[in-house]
Amino acid sequence: MVKKKIAKVLAFRYKILAAILILLAGGLVLLPKYQKHEGIKPEELVSHAMSPERYMTTDRLAHILINQDPSFILIDVRDEKSFASYTLPNAINIPLEKLFDEDSESYLNQNQFDVVLFSNDNFHADQAWILCNRLGYKNLRVLKGGINQWFTTIINPLKPEENMPAAAHELYATRKAASMFFGVVYPEQVKVEAPKIVKEAPKKVITVEKKKKAAAEGGC
Amino acid sequence: MGPLIPNGVIPIEWDNIIAILIGIVFGFVLEASGFSSSRKLAGLFYGYDFAVLKVFFTAAVVSLIGVYYMDYLGYLDITQLYVHPLYLWGAIIGGIIMGVGFVAGGFCPGTSLCAVAIGKIDAMVYVAGIMVGIFIFSELYPLFQPIYEGYFYGNVTLEDSLGINPYWFVFIFSMIAIVAFVVSDMVTKKVKKIFY
Amino acid sequence: MKKELKQKSKHIYWNPYYGGFLLGILILFTFYLTGRGLGASGAMKSSVVSIIESVAPTHAEESNYYSKFITEDESPMKNWLVFETLGVLIGAFISGGLNGRIGWRIQHSPKITSKRRLVFALGGGVLFGLGAQIARGCTSGAALSGMAVLSTGGFITMLAIFASAYATAYFFRKNWI
Repeated sequence: MVKKKIAKVLAFRYKILAAILILLAGGLVLLPKYQKHEGIKPEELVSHAMSPERYMTTDRLAHILINQDPSFILIDVRDEKSFASYTLPNAINIPLEKLFDEDSESYLNQNQFDVVLFSNDNFHADQAWILCNRLGYKNLRVLKGGINQWFTTIINPLKPEENMPAAAHELYATRKAASMFFGVVYPEQVKVEAPKIVKEAPKKVITVEKKKKAAAEGGC
Repeated sequence: MGPLIPNGVIPIEWDNIIAILIGIVFGFVLEASGFSSSRKLAGLFYGYDFAVLKVFFTAAVVSLIGVYYMDYLGYLDITQLYVHPLYLWGAIIGGIIMGVGFVAGGFCPGTSLCAVAIGKIDAMVYVAGIMVGIFIFSELYPLFQPIYEGYFYGNVTLEDSLGINPYWFVFIFSMIAIVAFVVSDMVTKKVKKIFY
Repeated sequence: MKKELKQKSKHIYWNPYYGGFLLGILILFTFYLTGRGLGASGAMKSSVVSIIESVAPTHAEESNYYSKFITEDESPMKNWLVFETLGVLIGAFISGGLNGRIGWRIQHSPKITSKRRLVFALGGGVLFGLGAQIARGCTSGAALSGMAVLSTGGFITMLAIFASAYATAYFFRKNWI
């Protein structure tokens, strides 16, 4: 009896299979379409945003620049005018509106260097950071406080009071040394009263290789 | 998110090992479906055995539907898949030459390899023939270069070149496949049986 | 009795829909893993290139076509498709072995001689090899894998192969039926 029933169903097996096929293919047509989410998942973005790695202090950056660490590139996201008037040594100018240009992508989307983004404060740099992170670019940092912070800490460090702890004095000493490296002239060094001059460090050419993607290749 | 190897989910070193495993399954399925027999393959053109058509169309429909569902569900990024490039006249002329070779030799490269594996001497000769063909092409490459490299339209899909909705195309294609299966069964009944 | 059973099982193949379904799943899986399709003639091209390279290295380097596939540090045989083809041979051998289909023989229609079959096999192979190079792919690489991603090139190649095969089938009918 059971066998007979099975045989009865089996007689229609090709029709059943065809019906399944039509259902599946039809399902594709009828499925509601949605805009695909590009780039990394929101949760991932949040975890990147919370990461302490996200910001870089000006002291650390000064250290990197003095040691000429080749693994970092600096990207100035301010407009061209500000870039022309002052920028950090060896920085590359990619204004926010040009962030998605093809030329910019080769600097931002690569695995060779760590990218440090900066603007006057960290506002624009943070925006650039979010946009690039969303696209899944890696090794991005933001200069904490931007160029303003750079000025108040490195170029023109605040002299600590006599009664402040020794650590503050040490920090001042290193910052002062750093600022001298970046071309600031102090009156105690030179007898002549000279205005603080910011000298541009020699340009370094940064070549970025295009990110290699293991592209899918052909069949035959 | 797939494809796994280009996205670095599986390290690239596994590529060749996976290639062998995929090849084993490919060879097994082809042989078990009877593709190692040239007379079964040739049956497609004389109407006494439509196994090739059925296997081929079923595989195409299943993979098409699968790819689009996986893309829809976000497991596979369809834009990252390799799309066979379109060199218009290369595809047409090459296809015509291959068609004649198919009927004359009774194999295509993949199936001939299966037949070689089970010791068919005609398949070995066929494979040798393919190599000679490739050799001739390479030696006369300057002659073939215009069609080999010309009329290039990029790695286009039917969506790009015909402007149709791919989902509808998959649906229509599945309907065509079902009709083809029904018709092929009807033809097989009419044609004189051939035992091979 | 046993021999009879063996004789019978020789021609029992899978249901084509079942085979096609598995093949489709395999193509899907291949795309999911590697982002590319299957192939067969690519490995033969690699073999030809490496043979020519070892026999006549200067000729291979001067040729516009071979030199495309020759790189300084790696042999043309160290290629995804070559490994895949090795797998095809192994897989087909396993399947053939399980069903008792292994053995040296020339399969041909009883109406023609073995010699005729071999001559046509060689001729067909030459044509197929030539065509596969011009179209940049064979039935598995261009047509089957191309169709899975709706490649226009794959569809055109597939249509051209089957159209011309049907068109010329009449002239080769004696070989098969």
